[in-house]
Amino acid sequence: MSAVLRTRTVRDLLVVLVVVFGVGSIAMLLAHVSPIDGFAQLFDGAFGTPEEVGETLVQAAFLLFPALGIAVAFRAGLFNIGAEGQLVLGGFAAGWIGAQLPMPAYLAIPAVLIAGALAGGAWGAIPGFLKARFGANEVIATLMLNYVAVLLCTYLVTGPLQQGGSGASETAALPKAAQLPDLIGLLADPHPTLAYVLTPFVIAVALAFVLRWLLFRTVFGYELRAAGDAPEAAKRAGIDLGRTALLAMSISGAIAGLGGATIVAGELHRFNTGLSAGYGFIAIAVAIVGNLDPRWIIVASIAFGMLQSGGIAMQAEAHVPKEVIALVTGLVIIALAGRRVVATRRTT
Amino acid sequence: MRSDDGDVEAGGVVGLVHQHFKLIERLRVWENVLLNREPRRGWAIDVAAARERVRALAARYGLAVDPDAVVETLPVGIKQRVELLRELDREPSVLLLDEPTAALAPGEIASFFTTIGELARNGTAVLVVTHKLAEVTAYSQRVTVMRAGRVVARHATAETNAADIARAMVGGEVPALADRTATATAPLLEARGLSARSATSALDDASFEVRAGEIVGIAGVEGNGQSALADAIAGIVPFSGELRFAGEQLRASESPAVRIARGIRVIPQDRRHEALVLDWNVRDNVALGRQRSLPRRAFADAARAVIERFDVRPPNADAIAGELSGGNQQKIVVGRALASAPKLIVAYQPTRGIDVGAAALVQSRLIEARNAGAGVLLISFELDEIFACADRVLVIANGRFAGSFARADVDRGRIGALMAGQA
Repeated sequence: MSAVLRTRTVRDLLVVLVVVFGVGSIAMLLAHVSPIDGFAQLFDGAFGTPEEVGETLVQAAFLLFPALGIAVAFRAGLFNIGAEGQLVLGGFAAGWIGAQLPMPAYLAIPAVLIAGALAGGAWGAIPGFLKARFGANEVIATLMLNYVAVLLCTYLVTGPLQQGGSGASETAALPKAAQLPDLIGLLADPHPTLAYVLTPFVIAVALAFVLRWLLFRTVFGYELRAAGDAPEAAKRAGIDLGRTALLAMSISGAIAGLGGATIVAGELHRFNTGLSAGYGFIAIAVAIVGNLDPRWIIVASIAFGMLQSGGIAMQAEAHVPKEVIALVTGLVIIALAGRRVVATRRTT
Repeated sequence: MRSDDGDVEAGGVVGLVHQHFKLIERLRVWENVLLNREPRRGWAIDVAAARERVRALAARYGLAVDPDAVVETLPVGIKQRVELLRELDREPSVLLLDEPTAALAPGEIASFFTTIGELARNGTAVLVVTHKLAEVTAYSQRVTVMRAGRVVARHATAETNAADIARAMVGGEVPALADRTATATAPLLEARGLSARSATSALDDASFEVRAGEIVGIAGVEGNGQSALADAIAGIVPFSGELRFAGEQLRASESPAVRIARGIRVIPQDRRHEALVLDWNVRDNVALGRQRSLPRRAFADAARAVIERFDVRPPNADAIAGELSGGNQQKIVVGRALASAPKLIVAYQPTRGIDVGAAALVQSRLIEARNAGAGVLLISFELDEIFACADRVLVIANGRFAGSFARADVDRGRIGALMAGQA
């Protein structure tokens, strides 16, 4: 099942490039902008200065967390469309806990990140449990829980758990001790210190390699992939599909939730109901383009991070509407998923 | 018609009946048979006329089937009739049949070929693709033998015989099956009043035993309770009644993992969906089912052992399972099941759709497992396979056991009648 979304050929990379540059160019022409100008601004905006490189990697990190979570679920044959909700809820838990606890950094940062992972994991466990216990379709459950998560956080932050009297839909600011170091600072800093190990991008890349090990070197990963690639055969080989679904969705949600926590601790320094610019949805494309392989997802997240950060510059400097980026992202998903479906139909 | 290279020409309509049916499971029989040729009344389908047309067609060819039955509820044998009726409705001048008797009882096979012979006499060219030599020699006028994608022999059927055709298929002598050496000892698997239900069949109040060191063959037509039996023993579906294994009561609720840990190995019927992860390489597939007990470092050695013992080609543990031939896929599935000295092997159609040489190898390995003291429950739709391998034969029909025969006194005619549900 998950094999449908995985690809083996370089041709798919070409498809992505053709879609991005081809459709992107057409869209720019329709907006009366020279595609050369537009793409030049895109690259310049993403990589022109150390600060811009930093922003690109920040965006990459915020996409990388949910994409890794999505990849774990997809590998298990579960189409987790709910990374957005898991990420928002993780961000809320991180922001709320972080603002509560006056602690030294070596306790505060782990507390904030763990809170985010637990909240996201619990949110992912719900559709996992429903799938395992009742066979409920995880696509619908995760999609719907996105709305529930966002509305729940909005209610909590403006209602029972409101902090301060501002009435704004956000938590109080995190104390300095609970904030992650700034990646932009890292790239501008001529003498980086060990503290920068805790920047979101570094954490996310390390996590990618941990997940790769988990998926491809452990019994758990073997069983998870078997359940995703051939559920009937996995069941007959003694693999508990329900347990695998519950664990895969919990881990998937926890990783997305951790992503939400890093946005709060690394960027906003408080929870805000608008903390995600649709990261949980764009991450679906990142995971698919990355072939559900954590190593390639790192590369894909940088590419999409570039579109995110460069897109803003492109709009400001070359007057290309930012929606071109959303258009291109959507078409990449359709092109890749569609090509695989066509290929699968031909072989069966 | 299309081909990658070369020319294919056919005059008139070509009908094709696939081995793996191409039916729309959720539609009714008449909807499948008349798909895209529905009789119309204005804008609507004339259901009454459609039903009548299918009924008349079925009567004409002696292929009894209820036009209003939903296809997914039908046993495989009937589905095949639907498939055949669909092609016959188009009045083909050329009819291609791919393994058409795979799901038929011996008696049904004879009447099936009577129907087909009738068609041929009325001017239809019939091409039957089959691995059953008895059918070739009994019913065909001409025979073409293919091996590895090439035509290796062409004869008028009257001028050749089954042994020559088999040699041409294998490209040498057909390997003899392993000798049976040891004899059966203590009861290993005992069923008392066993009932179970799988997706496609039901088992009703079955009692039997399999002893260590014997092969018990279950003879029957597909869809008569075999998959319920195999799934119940594998722990895939729950059962009622009593099932004892090696002196211990098996609980209906225990998982496949527990059954595997007890030393029970089930070779599933559908190797592509129920046994292999087609996207994975041979090495990871050989470990499937033993992933908890076999350390990852030992995967490669385990794969190499299966590849050598079963002559898997190509002999490459990195080959993707889905890209191997059916015979080599099956060797991996059987090799994996026999690798860890199992106590009981349930082999469900272990040689389905594979070539004669690979089939003989698989059967020999099962006999060797028996000689080494394992109990084997061989569920097969092919009587020849059961007669060649089994120490005892049980006949299953309509979910019930209908007869039991020792190897010495099997009676083909009697077994065929019991399989067709005639007491």
